[in-house]
Formats: sequence, structure tokens, C-alpha cells
Amino acid sequence: MVKIEDLKRINLLKNVPGHLLEILAKEARLSIFGEGTQLITVNEPIDTFYMLIMGQVAIKKEITPDIDVILDYIQSGSSFDTSAFIRDSTAFYTAVCLEPCEVITLSGERMLELFEKNHELAYYMMLDVSNQYKRYMDKRSQMILKTLQQNPDVEEDIYDSWISGVR
Amino acid sequence: MVDKDTLKEMLFLNDLPEPVFDKIAGLATIETYDAGTAMFYRNQKLTHLFMLVSGKIHLNFESAAGKFLILDKVYPGRTFGISALMTDTSSAFSASCAEKSTIISIPGDQMKKLFEQDFKIGHILMLKVVKLLKSRMEMHTRQFLLSLSMHPEIKQL
Repeated sequence: MVKIEDLKRINLLKNVPGHLLEILAKEARLSIFGEGTQLITVNEPIDTFYMLIMGQVAIKKEITPDIDVILDYIQSGSSFDTSAFIRDSTAFYTAVCLEPCEVITLSGERMLELFEKNHELAYYMMLDVSNQYKRYMDKRSQMILKTLQQNPDVEEDIYDSWISGVR
Repeated sequence: MVDKDTLKEMLFLNDLPEPVFDKIAGLATIETYDAGTAMFYRNQKLTHLFMLVSGKIHLNFESAAGKFLILDKVYPGRTFGISALMTDTSSAFSASCAEKSTIISIPGDQMKKLFEQDFKIGHILMLKVVKLLKSRMEMHTRQFLLSLSMHPEIKQL
């Protein structure tokens, strides 16, 4: 159980009505993780949703065996990994605490049970999760644009070059 | 008004209860557009959600050098313009018809009202939105990492 005031500090929950925050508060747990703790490992099953109260978390992904790219720095008030709300999800990235972190967690499995019983809760959570994905997607588009602007040899059909690149 | 059987062919709407199709059919319109028609532009606030019945849509953006870069291609049965269902309705990219295309349009604010009247439907459809956005976000991240790995300075490492 955590305080509702703590949940109100989480950006993703800003639009969730108070009576639904009370349900989340009963399910949530507060944890402290040390610097260097790997909270999420790429390609591993995701069973927990994390909301950062204090500290900083790096979201990273490997581009070659020798190079990791940090895609995001998660700061206080931000949250990850909403994939916990999608059944049978695996992690798309690795998340590591860059300093001691105070984190509110929600069990993905328990939330999926609650969503089946309370569709209002499920709707508002999904609405906010989709808003978060959209922000990330917009950010990625900006990152692609910036990288490509510095590389004049880029193919105009990124989709096809990406498809052929992953084959 | 759009025929219910046409709506049922859209992946975004399949598995919904029959009465919901009646409601959505009343909100939806269908139209055919010529190749090259811009459905919306980058940063535009979207008022409608679109579903492709036939044809092909390119999701793209213009680089500073004036090149149109194709990020994604939408094929029949698929949905685009889902920002119309969100709090921030602005689009991160443009959408244009790559060929003559028949498209269903549904007003985003009417869909949101429907979701708030029936949270079960709202839950089912917003979960689909989340899955669609997750898959596009992951694809864009992979595209970004691919473009980064091809960057001359990274290649030197």
C-alpha cells in the first residue's frame, strides 16, 4: 500500500480519477533499489510496472555487441514499463538504476485481474498508457530525423530499408 | 453511415459486440481518395481516426533537406490517425495516399464519448491502441538504431 499523494506525483496517472487512484494505492508497493540494479532485462518477461519517486533510471538497448545506446533517462515522476499491462509481454529494452531509486511498483498480473473486473480503471489506465507510448513514438521520430539529417546518404524509404535490414 | 460488414473487416474493430458496430456504423463515413492525397500533416491536430478499406497509405515526414522519408506503410484492414483518440491529438508524421484509396473516417471525439459511456468497449479498443502504438514505437526505435548504426561516426567505433 502507498499513499495516494505519492501516486499523484506520477505523470502517467495525472488523468486517473481519485476513486481509481485509491484502488491503485492498495495494490502498489514502495521499494528502494541500489545503484546498478537491473530492473528490466531485454527479452525477459515483464511482470512489473515501475513508477519512479526518486532517483534516475537509464533505458538502454544494444546496437552492436560493444555498443549500448541510452534511449531515455527516466526521472522522478516518470514511469516504465507499461508492457506489464499487456499479457505475455517481453522487455524491449534493459532498465538500470543509475543511482539509488525509490520506486512504486504494481504487479502486471494483478493489474490485469483488476482490469477484467473494473473496466473504468482499465480504460483510464490504457488511455494514459497510450498517451505515454505516443510521447515516446514522437520522441523516436525526432531522433530518427536528427540522425538522418546528419547522414545525407539515407534511403528515402526507411520502411523498406528497415524491413530488408531485419531480414 | 458505413456498412457493418465493411467495419468488421477492420482489424481494430474485430471481436466487438454486435451493438457496438451499430453505434460505430452511424458515426463513420467512407470515401475514396486519389493517389497523392494528403490525409493529414505532421503536427496537425487530428479530428478523425482512419481505417483503410483498399489502397495503400504512407506515413512519412519531411527532412530538413526536403526529402520525404517513409516511416511506415499502411495496408487494407489497418488503422491510422489514432492520435485522434488521445489527449494530445497532434500527429508525429504526415499520411498520404500512395495509391487510390478507400478510407473509413470516424470522429475521434465521438469515439471518446462512446468509450466513456461504455468503459468495457473503451478498455477493449484502448488496449488495441496501446498494442498498435507499442508495436509502432518499437519499430521506430529499431529504425532509429539502424540509422544510428549506419552513421559514419558509429561505424568507425
